Amino acid sequence: MVTITGVIPRPSTYTGLWSWLTTVDHKRIGALYGFSAFFFFVVGGIEAGIMRLQLVTSDNSLVSADWFNAMFTMHGTTMIFMAIMPFGATFFNFLIPLMIGARDVAFPRLNAFSYWTFLFGALLMHAGFLIGQVPDAGWFSYANLTAAPFSEGKGLDFWALSLQVLGVASLAAGFNFVVTIINMRAPGMSLMRMPVFVWMTLVTSILLVLAFPIITVALIELTADRQFGANFFNTAAGGDPILWQHLFWLFGHPEVYILILPAMGVVSEIIPTFSRKPLFGYPVVIFSGIVIAIMSWAVWSHHMFTVGLGAIANSVFTITTMLIAVPTGVKIFNWIGTMWSGSIDLRTPMLMAIGFVALFIVGGLSGVSHAVSPSDFQQQDTYYIVAHIHYVLFGGAIFGIFAGIYYWYPKITGKMYNELLGKIHFWLMFIGMNLTFFPMHYAGLNGMPRRIYTYAEGFGWEGMNLLATIGYFIIVISLLIFIHNFFRSIKKGEEAGHDPWDAPTLEWSISSPPPVYNFAEVPVVRGQDAYWITKREAAARGETVPAEPHVDPDTIHMPSPSYWPLITSFGVVWIAGGLLIDVGWDYIRFPISFIGGIITIIGVIGWSNEPAAEEHHEAAGHH
Amino acid sequence: MAHADTTHAPPAHPPAHEEETTTGINHRKLLMWVFLGSDCLFFGSLIATYMVYRGQSIVGPYPRDIIDVPITTVSTFVLLMSSFAMVMGVAAARNGNQKRLIQWLWLTIVLGSIFIGFQVYEFNLFRVEGLRYETNLFSSTFFTLTGFHGAHVTLGIFWLICLAIVAARNPAGRPSHLDVDIAGLYWHFVDIVWIVIFTLLYLIGGFDGPPEAGHAAVQGWNWVTGLIS
Amino acid sequence: MVTLALLGGVLILAALGCDADAHQSILSSTPWTLDGVGGPVAREQLLLFNVLLWTMVIVFVLVEGALLYAAIRFRRKPGDPLPPQTHGHTPLEIAWTIVPTILILGLGVWSVIVLFKLEPGEAIALARVEGKEPVRVEAVGHQWWWEFRYEDPLPGDEATKLVTTANEMRVPVNTPIIMDLKSDDVIHSFWIPKLAGKQDVVPTKTNSMWFLAEETGMYYGQCAEFCGTAHAQMKFRVHVMEDAEYKAWVAGFAEPVQLSAEATRGQLVFLGDGQCVTCHTVGASDVVDPATGEGVQHARMQTYIEYTEWLAKRADERLLDVRTGNEPPTAFAAPNLTDLSCRVTLGAGLVDRNRETLRQWVRDPDSIKPGNRMSELAVIYQTKLDHRADLTEAQLGDLVEYLSAQGSNVCPQ
Ligand code: HEA
Ligand code: HEA
Ligand code: CUA
Ligand SMILES: [Cu+2]
Repeated sequence: MVTITGVIPRPSTYTGLWSWLTTVDHKRIGALYGFSAFFFFVVGGIEAGIMRLQLVTSDNSLVSADWFNAMFTMHGTTMIFMAIMPFGATFFNFLIPLMIGARDVAFPRLNAFSYWTFLFGALLMHAGFLIGQVPDAGWFSYANLTAAPFSEGKGLDFWALSLQVLGVASLAAGFNFVVTIINMRAPGMSLMRMPVFVWMTLVTSILLVLAFPIITVALIELTADRQFGANFFNTAAGGDPILWQHLFWLFGHPEVYILILPAMGVVSEIIPTFSRKPLFGYPVVIFSGIVIAIMSWAVWSHHMFTVGLGAIANSVFTITTMLIAVPTGVKIFNWIGTMWSGSIDLRTPMLMAIGFVALFIVGGLSGVSHAVSPSDFQQQDTYYIVAHIHYVLFGGAIFGIFAGIYYWYPKITGKMYNELLGKIHFWLMFIGMNLTFFPMHYAGLNGMPRRIYTYAEGFGWEGMNLLATIGYFIIVISLLIFIHNFFRSIKKGEEAGHDPWDAPTLEWSISSPPPVYNFAEVPVVRGQDAYWITKREAAARGETVPAEPHVDPDTIHMPSPSYWPLITSFGVVWIAGGLLIDVGWDYIRFPISFIGGIITIIGVIGWSNEPAAEEHHEAAGHH
Repeated sequence: MAHADTTHAPPAHPPAHEEETTTGINHRKLLMWVFLGSDCLFFGSLIATYMVYRGQSIVGPYPRDIIDVPITTVSTFVLLMSSFAMVMGVAAARNGNQKRLIQWLWLTIVLGSIFIGFQVYEFNLFRVEGLRYETNLFSSTFFTLTGFHGAHVTLGIFWLICLAIVAARNPAGRPSHLDVDIAGLYWHFVDIVWIVIFTLLYLIGGFDGPPEAGHAAVQGWNWVTGLIS
Repeated sequence: MVTLALLGGVLILAALGCDADAHQSILSSTPWTLDGVGGPVAREQLLLFNVLLWTMVIVFVLVEGALLYAAIRFRRKPGDPLPPQTHGHTPLEIAWTIVPTILILGLGVWSVIVLFKLEPGEAIALARVEGKEPVRVEAVGHQWWWEFRYEDPLPGDEATKLVTTANEMRVPVNTPIIMDLKSDDVIHSFWIPKLAGKQDVVPTKTNSMWFLAEETGMYYGQCAEFCGTAHAQMKFRVHVMEDAEYKAWVAGFAEPVQLSAEATRGQLVFLGDGQCVTCHTVGASDVVDPATGEGVQHARMQTYIEYTEWLAKRADERLLDVRTGNEPPTAFAAPNLTDLSCRVTLGAGLVDRNRETLRQWVRDPDSIKPGNRMSELAVIYQTKLDHRADLTEAQLGDLVEYLSAQGSNVCPQ
């Protein structure tokens, strides 16, 4: 078949820069996601630092009001969409195929496309910094502050369009993982034998797939207003700013569970391993995850208690929101039940996991106190809320993510991290985190509103803010230790072996780091905690189970690298980016978008004409 | 799970061809189902926006001045017929009748294009009659919703054209029954969405006028809060 | 240990909260009691919050305690055998599903009851009991200041007319106040922590809420929804007064003030070179415009009334060109200054009001409040390169005299 693929030779290297740009290997994509997410985590953290320095005392004037507003907007947006979500994707990518005994995800090239689109979207959002057009309406950018008359410049266009691109990336990843988990499980791995992390990934992916179209529509409407003069949020034409809030939070609340469920999955893997007991109430933990996901669709208006929906609506959302505490509590109780009368090894991953549970409880309980709407009338938009979100997002999601990083570090790198440094990291981060965010509860109840760039003296807020700023620097130090530990151990760490933790899941049955093809032979799963079963049966026979032997990779067909995902993503980001460059000529107002569209189309055509695995390059590909 | 041996299965087949899957549903077909689920929420949100703003435009033209139900009934019928043609196409693909497949595909394409033609005509007519994208709430919501539907149809047409070309050039069993089946799923979905749009925007909302004086802003949400209370 | 540390933290913070500075605090002045709140609405909210807090503290101690106990008690010791491989315990699962559910439904029912008590209808009922009528105040949020309009400041008193003030509202003590909240531009939120929780101020709709202040004094308020550059500085004050004082204040709006010679010159600046009158209203001391024979301020007030009517009816006004039609009949963009000398602050609660700050404000508003709309809209700030007011020092002085005289009949300096 004469196709466009003939024009550019298919990439065939497995080393060097090009191999990373064209890789479709889920492990490499996972690594790319991981580094990018950490990069943006640091960016968001530095933005937080600027805020903390500005707020360290009353009437401070380190930064201007507009700059501060840009900082919290970008901090929230970056942390949520460009740090925690891609951290989630990191784990999905690296682990899901390994845990279900598959060679790769269902659509390897779509996976690469997700990553590149995410990266380009994130870069597009930050490109606003280069030309001084930074979004500054908060991470949920309420209409009609985002309407043209109230928000001049291109800042919000950057925000809306980049978020749209990030949405495309998330959706593509969501589709991919739903299909992978449903369709690519090793023989014998029934749904109720899947590791909890796989379950939580499935639930998260389904939430993603259903929630992102809603914010997509909201962003389309916002973009239409700003770029094409539509009236969705134009109050003079009768537009209703509350519509934005409904759409945003109908997405936004499921989104917060998209952020936390992967971390819960991670913790559900770690606690059994380090307690040497199977997860207590495995089906209940899974079921509660599903219930949380379903209930998350019925609570969105708890972000809108004060907009005047009326007492009846507020009552309904008060009750539904409070009820979410029940399935969440069930999870927590089951984790404690797993630890109970176990044999607990307090290594860093376990410490992080326990830290997760301990801190998430605090965040969850303050969440319940927001759910009580009459009380929330006082709390809403104060630092009390800021405290809640950081206990669930930092204490929850970030601790869960670090737990996962330490836990799978030996699997990913083949080396063991330094335990002492790990523990120091944990304790410093734990202390710093509480020092930063616990006082915020009090500052909020003491009347300090959020999103203020400065405050007058005499309100009694200085002490709390000073503590928070000190706490921030302790977190920074802890993270520097982590960075050091991470890179030093890659070079100098001990060989970890294939199963350092005596873990129950399949990824530990293969060598570390895993070979390109993952499993030389597809495993057959005979029960929950499959690898424990194998190991314990062997132990009963007085044997040990070695890692799967390496085989000649040439005998295994793997998908070949491809340029097309990269090219397609590149096109997609310029469709969005081009809308920022309006030449005002009636026939083609947005020429760059147009070119971006053409690149996308070329990408898609090339992609669909290219077979997933190139037969004749296979042998030459590996070194 | 008390006992289990992890004996290993025979080496897996290369993933390039029609893979074995856990559920027996092909990956791509499952992908399409998941995508359509997602798309439901996409159109759902657009339709919800339309419904919230129904009858809220404070300047004309209003739907009652401009919507022509009979004409759109015709185009709706055409689109429905295209779904029928698609069904026949899928059946032909299943029976391996390449010639029939090509004929039905082209018929679907032509009917879909006629539908798009109607839409272009309608949009243009509205523009001439003074309903531009930025005129009022009705125009913004209407053009956005039907425009995105039109874009879906257009994409479907291109997809079917690709299939038809492949079928014509490559008579040896390509496109596979599965390829046609997946395209069919998409096409029917887009069709069903139109039925909803046609019902809500034309049959029910086609006679809306300006907001009733007084409670302009509150009205739109009544049906939402009505659901809750 | 962690539990104790956190609990200790709570108590230390609570103790810190005892300071007298906590005048924008939601908490009471003595922790965990209901003292120091200003009225019934805030009291209901604080009571509910305290109960919640203690429930949560108990849950917290129990659950964190169990977690910590497990982590310490069941630590692995070298040579430990494989622990018993339990998989679950159904009665336990049921128990820890049911108990929280009951707890939550209990709290939920209470919250719903409180919720309905906070509805504005409650204020009317409450007023009836005391044989009073609630005072209705309309608060209009502007980027970044508050406007307070009293259509009927003394309910039942036929003679009184519209009273308008800005950033500092005055209300009688022990009288239910119903706030009708409107926005002129984006979403704001009206919040007086000591008196009542917040309610958003949303363009295109009117939200209502109520509060009642039991003691006279000054209460702090703050815009609580992010609304752009100067959101942090969109504060306001509520002065709660004895009935008689309040009446005098209202009456002051109808009475002209005595102007000194300087102030009279200042008035000319206000109306002339300064063009202040294009946006500001000064109600009580009117001069007659020789050209029209009409009172200038009266005309201004008239425009203002038209403007607010336009605001209300804007949805019905079909004649607007939607793209550009955001213009009211005449721009009315600035605080009413009639009772200026009653106010303790300038710039929406930003700095104390006195002659120096007033002068600085008029000369260069940006130096006090970045992002304020005055320097953006008023012509005198556009003519000079440094964006300061295009007025001489003498003119400034006169103007400050004139402004300082406003309201001096009811609020002597
Ligand atoms: C990971 C993210 C995450 C998670 C998991 C949660 C979890 C919860 N959140 Fe949170 N929330 C956010 C992220 C998250 N939230 C963010 C980002 C915002 C702010 C957005 C913004 O405005 O910028 C927010 C804001 C927010 C609000 C709006 C506040 C306001 O603006 O006024 C509310 C109100 O109800 C709320 C409630 C809850 C509740 C009830 C839970 C529950 O799921 C918590 C359940 C957990 C527990 C309760 C603890 C464990 C349970 C037990 C130990 C059992 C026993 C307990 C009881 C019987 C009570 N959250
Ligand atoms: C996942 C989510 C997440 C995370 C992890 C964080 C982390 C932090 N947040 Fe964040 N925050 C949000 C999500 C998050 N936040 C959201 C959603 C909002 C609401 C935004 C809005 O209102 O719109 C918010 C708002 C918010 C505010 C309120 C702003 C306001 O309302 O005015 C504050 C104030 O202190 C704050 C502080 C912090 C701090 C100090 C951290 C720290 O924990 C950060 C720690 C991280 C680092 C320190 C990075 C590591 C840095 C290094 C390693 C530096 C060294 C390296 C080099 C220099 C090369 N956050
Ligand atoms: Cu007005 Cu914030
Ligand atoms: Cu929420």
